[in-house]
Amino acid sequence: MKVDIRELGQFNNLASLGAQRAASSLSQLTGVQIDVEVTDVSLVTENVLAETFTGQSFVGVELGLQGGLEGETVLAFERERALMLQDLLLEATGSSDDLAQSSVTELGNIMIGGFIDGWANHLGSAINMTPPKYTEAVGPRILPDQAIEAAKNHGVFLFESKLEAMDVDLDFSIYMLPEYRQFVELLSGTSEGNQIPVNRLSAFEKLATQGAGNAAGQIGMMTGLDTDVDVSRLRFVPLEGVPRQVGDDRFVGVVFELKGLPSGYLVVLFDEASAKTVASSMMPGGGSDEDGIGTMTEGAIKELGNIMTSGFIDGWANVLGTSIEHTPPNFVHDMGSAIMSPVIGKLGKQQDYAFVIDSTIEIDGHQGQCDIYALPNERELARALSALPAQT
Amino acid sequence: MKRLDTGERAPSRQKIGIAEYAVVTDETVLITSGLGSCLGIILYDPVRTVSGLIHVMLPTVDQARDNTPAKFVDTGIPLLIEEMAAVGADTSNLQAWIVGGSEMLQLSSNGDSIGSRNIAMAKQLLADHGFEIVGSDVGGNHGRSIQFDPAAEAVSIRTADETTQVI
Repeated sequence: MKVDIRELGQFNNLASLGAQRAASSLSQLTGVQIDVEVTDVSLVTENVLAETFTGQSFVGVELGLQGGLEGETVLAFERERALMLQDLLLEATGSSDDLAQSSVTELGNIMIGGFIDGWANHLGSAINMTPPKYTEAVGPRILPDQAIEAAKNHGVFLFESKLEAMDVDLDFSIYMLPEYRQFVELLSGTSEGNQIPVNRLSAFEKLATQGAGNAAGQIGMMTGLDTDVDVSRLRFVPLEGVPRQVGDDRFVGVVFELKGLPSGYLVVLFDEASAKTVASSMMPGGGSDEDGIGTMTEGAIKELGNIMTSGFIDGWANVLGTSIEHTPPNFVHDMGSAIMSPVIGKLGKQQDYAFVIDSTIEIDGHQGQCDIYALPNERELARALSALPAQT
Repeated sequence: MKRLDTGERAPSRQKIGIAEYAVVTDETVLITSGLGSCLGIILYDPVRTVSGLIHVMLPTVDQARDNTPAKFVDTGIPLLIEEMAAVGADTSNLQAWIVGGSEMLQLSSNGDSIGSRNIAMAKQLLADHGFEIVGSDVGGNHGRSIQFDPAAEAVSIRTADETTQVI
């Protein structure tokens, strides 16, 4: 069985349109403008689910899907966001506190209904929804048991749409976890296009974890600081969603072009404080009196970026059995979204979607953070994965 | 022009992402962020107060694999004009602002950067339509976020170092 990348793109688009419908229902109900930031899909294992959801307390609404698309959909709010949303709903509808829980459930029903609408059309068969269930949980338990079980066995496709309110501090996600076997069949497509054998999909996670693990190790060696890979996921995102995922905050970092199989781009970004922390710890004597981000920090980040990138692509070369090289570093100190803009511009000539390996490395406990984004050429990645020996 | 105080909670700002556009006939402020090599193009009909903003990524749809019109300068500008005409704009005489098209990175490529080709394509197309470019802030090597305020008929531009200018 093969997965057609174009089909995956189609489904991502359906999820994205569905999220927009869900956002506009919510805007009408609350009177607050809600936008969809980004929709992505990734194939995740139990480990990644744990990393993604751990430590947070959630309130959610869960609905089962049956028919043309089977699986579960979950609307998940971090607890404090849910309380804020309840306040907004109470304000807008004037209902009493007792109704808050049922209003969130009803909201979930309306939003998820909107989310699923387009899918039945695309699939040409009805999708039935089971009644919504209000859930509360800490960590990945907010997701249905079946999904967690599937993640353990063969991985699960996780669609995530991030929604954000315009004028109030409110963000949350809609997750959809289609039943694995049926969904893989839906993805098989008919085209001769870019296809990846489904049994190579597990190599995705190895690409993400090996690359990030190597890069984190290099930071540790260069700075003497403790490092830990916090989250590492391979997401499939529409290209124009990549800058939004990175956000408008100001970062210090380096951008590399990768050459080989696959070619692509690798972007290493530190927030300003983290950049100064790692740069200082690389200086002899352990400190710099530089104000802001100057030439000393630039030099240190370039050197570190070089070594991290070598480590990262060595990890890839191990998994894929290919050779990859990188250009000298391009130093950047700007809005994250603007930094990504020429990268997706370059890729945009050949592809509409990107496989983004998105890894967060924690430095010195929670003191600092580094984000790595790897964007391989889609066709070349598909080719490299297809060439791997089959796994049992 | 003064905003009428109707007491209604109308959306007062609208965010536009990459390869997206928006057209409004009221005083909704149009916002787009993270312009690097991408270009933000604003068209405005001051008589009928129709405003449009598009955030394009690449100069031309030629040689690209998909054809989402709002992704490219050469298909995005006609699309924006058409959508503005549909809500009553007189598109024979629009005002234009262009912002972005910087060269963030020295990437290996043949010829000019994406940013400079975006700028050149936009200037050429706007000139072909006979539109006046009333303001532009393009090129350089830094990112920009912009807001178009129809009430002020002005674009404010913010950079990562928190400097703001209005054109």
